[in-house]
Amino acid sequence: MRMTFKILWIALLGSTSIFAQNKELLYNFNEIPQSLMVNPGVKTSQKWHVGIPVVSGLAFQGATSGVTVNDLFANDGIDFTTKVQERLLDVMGTKDDFSTASQIEGITVGFRGKNRPDDYYSFGIYGEMDIITYWPKDLAILAFEGNGGGNLGRSFDLGDLNLRGEMINVFHFGINRKVSNTLTLGARAKLYSSIFQFQSIKNSGSFTTIPGLNNVYESTITADMQLQTAGVRGFYDIVEEDTGSTRKDVTSLFTERVLLGGNLGFGLDFGFSYNLNPQTTITGSILDLGFINNSKDVWNYTFAGSTTTDGISVFLPDEINNVNNDLWEELVDEIDAALPHGENQSSYISWRPLKVYGSLTYDFGQGGGAVLDNCGCAVNGGGGGSALDYYRNSVGGQLFMIKRPRGVQAALTGFYQRRFGRVLSLKGTYTVDKYSLSNIGLGANFQLGPVNFYVLADNLLSYSNLADSHYASLQFGFNIISWNGN
Amino acid sequence: MKRLHHCTFLLLGFLFMMTACTEEQDFSQVDDLRVTPTLASGLFYMESDEATINSAGAFGSFYSEEVNFDAFNEQYVAERLIEGVITYEIDNTTSKELRLIIEFLDEAGQPLDAEIFTVEADPSETVIRDVLYGPGGKSIDIVANTSSLRVSAINLGDGTSVSSTDDPKIILRSGAQFVFRLK
Repeated sequence: MRMTFKILWIALLGSTSIFAQNKELLYNFNEIPQSLMVNPGVKTSQKWHVGIPVVSGLAFQGATSGVTVNDLFANDGIDFTTKVQERLLDVMGTKDDFSTASQIEGITVGFRGKNRPDDYYSFGIYGEMDIITYWPKDLAILAFEGNGGGNLGRSFDLGDLNLRGEMINVFHFGINRKVSNTLTLGARAKLYSSIFQFQSIKNSGSFTTIPGLNNVYESTITADMQLQTAGVRGFYDIVEEDTGSTRKDVTSLFTERVLLGGNLGFGLDFGFSYNLNPQTTITGSILDLGFINNSKDVWNYTFAGSTTTDGISVFLPDEINNVNNDLWEELVDEIDAALPHGENQSSYISWRPLKVYGSLTYDFGQGGGAVLDNCGCAVNGGGGGSALDYYRNSVGGQLFMIKRPRGVQAALTGFYQRRFGRVLSLKGTYTVDKYSLSNIGLGANFQLGPVNFYVLADNLLSYSNLADSHYASLQFGFNIISWNGN
Repeated sequence: MKRLHHCTFLLLGFLFMMTACTEEQDFSQVDDLRVTPTLASGLFYMESDEATINSAGAFGSFYSEEVNFDAFNEQYVAERLIEGVITYEIDNTTSKELRLIIEFLDEAGQPLDAEIFTVEADPSETVIRDVLYGPGGKSIDIVANTSSLRVSAINLGDGTSVSSTDDPKIILRSGAQFVFRLK
């Protein structure tokens, strides 16, 4: 059986890859201090921890639910335009998206309260970037095929344009409290310092060309579109001016925004862990319940109105004496007037992408001795009733949901975790979501004395050809952890 | 010893991960992308009642105007025109034969081409003409260089008769579908 496991691990790891969408590997991986960031109510056992600045937590994700890089750019001898038509335009829908997310932890510190050893406090700073753009199906077809030919009569939905992105720096402080031997609660407050934000998420309208009532063709456009930006124009202006100190100016502005000099916001995380019985635990968390008030460096672009045109029209005798030959120019001006596009600097609220996790875990396989007997924390160590530290194996399921502009995206994960003393812990996952039905992930946590290193990688099966992957994710980091003051 | 084995296997695994590969990708294929949409639009619509035609008298011109028309000769558009078709539809429910002339003029006002329609008096069928430009048709340069249209309408009948049809009219419709090479 053990040999089977070894072979399985090697097969999983050796099959090459690094992928995942949510942080299902990190979630409930209690040995890793950063698991507090995905569930403030996770069971904690350490006395204190300090992340090694900048490399304590790095996470990168890229995802596409439709076409992959390999689909388009493989050197397969197929005409590129044909590939775009057959693999992009004919296949992808408006719910398909391209997204990327990254997170870099600057500082992370955690410590147990001296007077309240049941409380574990943590604080820190991390930077985060999150961009998602849905496939603008109808606009892409309009650009590639036009409104003529087979598209006469087709209503192109302008609402297909839907994108959102932001870069923020987050200052956070959290409290994790062991309420009883069965219940741990946690909460985290976050102060968001926005570097930039943009969104175009409430567009509507259509463009249609049909055989006209009067003329051969009649085109109608109705639009209510808006792109909201905050913090973008400042960078754009610096680059546009190109004064020779561009790099310095960009760095200066970036630093200012990182250090609370831009738009600010506030958010909260909540989480819990509850032992239904000594071997069964349920957990849950809700993250980034917050917003950013975008009031500085705001530039919004609007395009709204409605008009129908069938070209230049002359009605006789009404216009028999009209010798104006600028009818074309007048037509263009009329269309422009009916579809005003403008700019404004109205402030707006942007909501953070709300995330929810939940899990059910069953522990088994007694370890024959608690790992943390000498932890000094007197909280979740051996004898404290913690199934985590007592059982070597955990198996269970996790649910992840994230609020996206076009609705909630969900992912379902099954996992198995194996602990080899305090030194090593492994977690394997199988996740199903809109990006992949074959996402197998593996995480490892190494504890060499006080030095902690972890690496979590997703979608291992597609590692043989990264370019053909719908999803790629990698997280890793270094920490110093103490259980008894070492 | 057991731990050593586990660690060895794990390290081997991650070593394999690090040797992960990707098939050869050729990003220069983007240069081969062809974006050639077909754009459709109404062009010119004219209608006239029979009284206006009669007022011009027999064999008289009841309409002649030069209309600025820069739809195709903007540099960006002109350079990307590949081929297309202009469709004309003419309905004549008046009591007289009519002639419609549509001339394509360049920036200097010089004729590049002309479409001439002679339309029978009512009862007559709708006149439909598709004029191709580009390969297999007229030169695409005609539309690419057109800066204005001169539309003339001439009464080839008498100047007094009135059709018994309800609300007799001459109606000229036109629309175009052109293929552009955006990339």
